[in-house]
Amino acid sequence: MSYSATSTDDGARRQLAYERSARPREHFARLRANGPIHRDGAESPMLLRRADVEHALRHWQEYSSDYAGVMGSEEPIIPLNVDPPLHVRYRRLLDPYFAPRKIAPLQQAVQQHTNDLIDAFIDRGSCDFSTELAVPLPCSTFLSLFGLPLDELHALVRWKDIMIRPEHVAAEGEDPHELQARTVREIYTRFQAEIEDRRAHPRDDLITYLVQAEIDGDKLTDSELRRICFLMLSAGLDTVTISLECIFAFLLDDDEARQMLVHEPGSEVNLVEELLRWETPVQTVSRITTCPVHIGGELIPAGEKLALSLASANVDPDGLPGADEVDVRRGDLRNFAFGGGPHRCLGSNLARMELRTVVRTWHDRIPEYRLAPGAELVWNSSVLRGLDHLPLVWATEASA
Amino acid sequence: MKLVIDHELCQGHGRCWDNAPELVEDDEAGRGVVRGDGRVPDALEGKAREAASACPERAVRLEP
Repeated sequence: MSYSATSTDDGARRQLAYERSARPREHFARLRANGPIHRDGAESPMLLRRADVEHALRHWQEYSSDYAGVMGSEEPIIPLNVDPPLHVRYRRLLDPYFAPRKIAPLQQAVQQHTNDLIDAFIDRGSCDFSTELAVPLPCSTFLSLFGLPLDELHALVRWKDIMIRPEHVAAEGEDPHELQARTVREIYTRFQAEIEDRRAHPRDDLITYLVQAEIDGDKLTDSELRRICFLMLSAGLDTVTISLECIFAFLLDDDEARQMLVHEPGSEVNLVEELLRWETPVQTVSRITTCPVHIGGELIPAGEKLALSLASANVDPDGLPGADEVDVRRGDLRNFAFGGGPHRCLGSNLARMELRTVVRTWHDRIPEYRLAPGAELVWNSSVLRGLDHLPLVWATEASA
Repeated sequence: MKLVIDHELCQGHGRCWDNAPELVEDDEAGRGVVRGDGRVPDALEGKAREAASACPERAVRLEP
């Protein structure tokens, strides 16, 4: 079996991971030139081409999502790790809660949270965009949705950091995997308590909705409820955080786009969409083959875990002319930033609303800003492409 | 020109009614539903093309 560009050497792999996050467009163009599949020792084989990724996203019969182990959860999380037909039943229940008409009323609260966060630093003339806005904003949305008090924000940030990158949080001498496993148990226990609370004291929040929901006359079991809650936690926080970081890092380098945002209210809608494609913050999703499949003349056996590179597919010019440049007036705005097929992102409408709201609110209040002098952007090289820090500065009235 | 949505393919991305609210509305689950009989007025043909080309599932079709 022949696969392209094999590098097992540690230094080479680090270089590759750095390139992938710092210069993804060039990186994936190079990989695609080598062939449709990128294979790198320890990693799952990665599908690179737009057509192959699109096919795999849609054909769940061949490319299954039935694998466990996402972010330390030993049980399959719902609906991410469930295939149709059961998947369809879960989505029928969850989709309406995340439909735009349900999301629209939340916009005001998101705008308020954004304004509150900006209030805290606007007069300073500087902020760390990542830690002071991109991280707390989606966390406050999550707490509101779940009917949890906003003062739990700090604890929530710690939870999601341990789930996503335990090695960054673990104390010296502490085993990150042990920390992650312990924290996941803690999270499941907490969700169980909240589930029991809403059963006894129903309110207007997502957990109450789930507790009362029925599929064909049956209520969801506690295990199902916990695994749905875990999905919301693992999928709803960092994805929005890194998308904001990617979008603002792009805007730092693009005066034209920034001027458009400042002078054309509403222009954030298409710009956010195009930048989701261009940046593809969630770089890959996983699938496992249920049967042997042919990709670009190569045979992949059944039972192989594959990474579908949404990031590569989104910038593959084969099938989308002009894919290698940002163009908000492009006729074809299709992209795979939220995946596709039956497992397309459940929270895409919520995410879009949050992204548009932050981009609009920020540019109304801080139209001119730049990277803090001397600061350098250090992209974290994981599937979730973001920045731990994004120090920005702008002129204040006091300094003018 | 007529705008048609294939509900077998639709996954509720909502790009169609986001791009062309004059032609498509959303149902309870966020899926696109064609307004009226789907006939596209000449003035909205551009919008209809945008709605079709934005659909990630290729569920929105234009028919003569």
